[in-house]
Amino acid sequence: MAMTSLKRLGKGLAPVVLAGVMLASLPGAAGAQTPIKIGASMSVTGTYAKPGSYQKEGYDVCIDELNAKGGLLGRKVELVIYDDQSQPATAVKLYEKLITEDKVDAVMGPYSSAVSEAVANVTEKYKKVMVAPLAATTSIFKKGRKYIFMVITPAENYLDGLIDMAAKRGLKTVAIINEDTLFPKASAAGTAEAAKKHGMQVVLQEAYPKGNTDFSALLVKIKAANPDVIAAGTYFDDAIAITRQMKELNVNPKMFGLTVGGDLPEFYDLLKQNAEYVYGSTQWDESLPYPGQKEFLAAYKKKFKHEPSYHSAAGYAGCLLYADAVRKAGSLDADKVREQLLKMETRTAFGDYKVEPDGFQVAHKMVMLQWQDGKRVIVWPDDLSNGKPRYPTPEWGKR
Amino acid sequence: MGVLITPAMVGQVVISGLLAGSIYAMVALGLGLIFGVMRVLNVAHGPLMMLGAYTTFWLFQRFGLNPYLSILLSMPLLFLVGLGLQRFLVRRVVDAPELSSLLLTFGVSIALVNLAQLAFTSDLRSVEYLTGSFVVGPFALSKPRLAACAFAVAITVASFVFLRLTRLGKAIRAVSQSREVAQVCGIDVQRIHLLAFGLGSALAAAGGSLVAVMVAIQPEMGQVYTFKSFLVIVLGGAGNYPGALLGGLLLGLVEQLSSLFLTAQVNEAVAYVLLVLVLLIRPTGLLKGRV
Repeated sequence: MAMTSLKRLGKGLAPVVLAGVMLASLPGAAGAQTPIKIGASMSVTGTYAKPGSYQKEGYDVCIDELNAKGGLLGRKVELVIYDDQSQPATAVKLYEKLITEDKVDAVMGPYSSAVSEAVANVTEKYKKVMVAPLAATTSIFKKGRKYIFMVITPAENYLDGLIDMAAKRGLKTVAIINEDTLFPKASAAGTAEAAKKHGMQVVLQEAYPKGNTDFSALLVKIKAANPDVIAAGTYFDDAIAITRQMKELNVNPKMFGLTVGGDLPEFYDLLKQNAEYVYGSTQWDESLPYPGQKEFLAAYKKKFKHEPSYHSAAGYAGCLLYADAVRKAGSLDADKVREQLLKMETRTAFGDYKVEPDGFQVAHKMVMLQWQDGKRVIVWPDDLSNGKPRYPTPEWGKR
Repeated sequence: MGVLITPAMVGQVVISGLLAGSIYAMVALGLGLIFGVMRVLNVAHGPLMMLGAYTTFWLFQRFGLNPYLSILLSMPLLFLVGLGLQRFLVRRVVDAPELSSLLLTFGVSIALVNLAQLAFTSDLRSVEYLTGSFVVGPFALSKPRLAACAFAVAITVASFVFLRLTRLGKAIRAVSQSREVAQVCGIDVQRIHLLAFGLGSALAAAGGSLVAVMVAIQPEMGQVYTFKSFLVIVLGGAGNYPGALLGGLLLGLVEQLSSLFLTAQVNEAVAYVLLVLVLLIRPTGLLKGRV
């Protein structure tokens, strides 16, 4: 009796053991191999702490999603993140450490153009592919680097939509102002370029120093030049000050658009009805009908209990793009993955992706929004919009 | 691309310059007071102003208090903060070489900004209370800036009345002129130092409360005013109180007029060139020998 049950047990176990042995010998069985380690430094503290944290959360959601779907090349994926304190020099040391000491299998980009520019030298040296989701400065991609890939729209194109809408309405003149620092300068130059391309005349172009609080003289000059459109390369506090002083000095162009600041919910909180009719530009908005958007939003909000920003979406999409390229290449080999990233043309939850041979992004589109009754309404481009622009902008007293 | 500059434009810009200048003058008077009495250059002056702005913001946000009324609270509050700084920190470096006091107040400045970042976050805040302007002929008079100017003038006048007519005010001026002689005459110099730092901080706070209605409030908003105030008191003659007034108005005008005739980009450069010229031609400041 005892013997038979043991025999039976043996018979029952045999196929299970056999299957186990076979599984273990199969290449790439999940859990059987060491996980793929993806390293990055992130601005978790310091000046860029806020956007940096959003980006990191985007990476986290991406890694969760990859693992839920069985990992990458059959291996689990693990994120190794260090805090670069928003300092390019610190980030450089951290990428050296990630690649040489931690021996990560892949890297992802840090936050900001400045930090990406610095660490790109390290990742190129070790021939590591780096998808840099939050590097918006064109020059980073024009230095002959081979392994860095851009995801977001460059600074120069931030106000393309404003100029396009203005030109379509037959507007002829534009005044361009910007803070005298890298990013706003590049956006102002790009805007001037776009205006000329559309046959518009730039009647005034001027920069102001960072930290400027009184724009009266500049606005008096703009008022005298009487442009149809004012385009401003701003960050945020200047966007607020300029809008307020435009009201005070009754400067009232038919369209008024901002690069950064105009897109944030705080812009309306701070200015209330004076923010109405102002155009802002943004890399991404959660209302956009992109594939995978709903899933991303649901997973993000569930994990972090707050809304994502465009930094989160760019981080998430950048990480998925890399994973996609690895899957297509069937390997983690830098040159094979690079080849795929150069070939890919796709649309993610963050929008379109396609790069030139130097890794420079050419497909991703900015969207223009306009504040209408306290809401951000996407008014450009037409195929992504969810409302019509309110045009022309009425007098200040009637907003 | 050039814009033809008309007299009306110049008039508008002069008005803006004077409105801005009145606030520079008041804030710089606070820095000048501290420097005059103790020969301590308070690098934390701007951050103290930032605390004044936050005081106004929170009172407005939580209790809906009129931002102009909040000056009545922000000034005494920062007066106390000033007293504390003087009593526990600055007092120790008054007679030390200048570098010690610069380093100390620089440290205080960094600490205040970082504490503000921790306590209030670096999110931008604003007091949306008064917007728009009065139109007088061809000129637009910004409501918040006009109100700020009126309060700045009133507070500055009150400060001068205090300095000229009261015993304490006279004692402050006496210490500025000569600490030793003042001490010999029976003035409690330590007490005057305390008072000067408190008053100086209160004037910064008033400036903060007034600009809170005009610009976005954030922890780093103050630093630029430290530099402007420094410029103003050197222009006017360090330790010379009426000079601070003149220097403030002059800085406001120079900034705006250079933005109009040249570009906004160079207005700081022009202000500093002016500073160098004044130092070369009249190293004691525009008004010398008067306290």
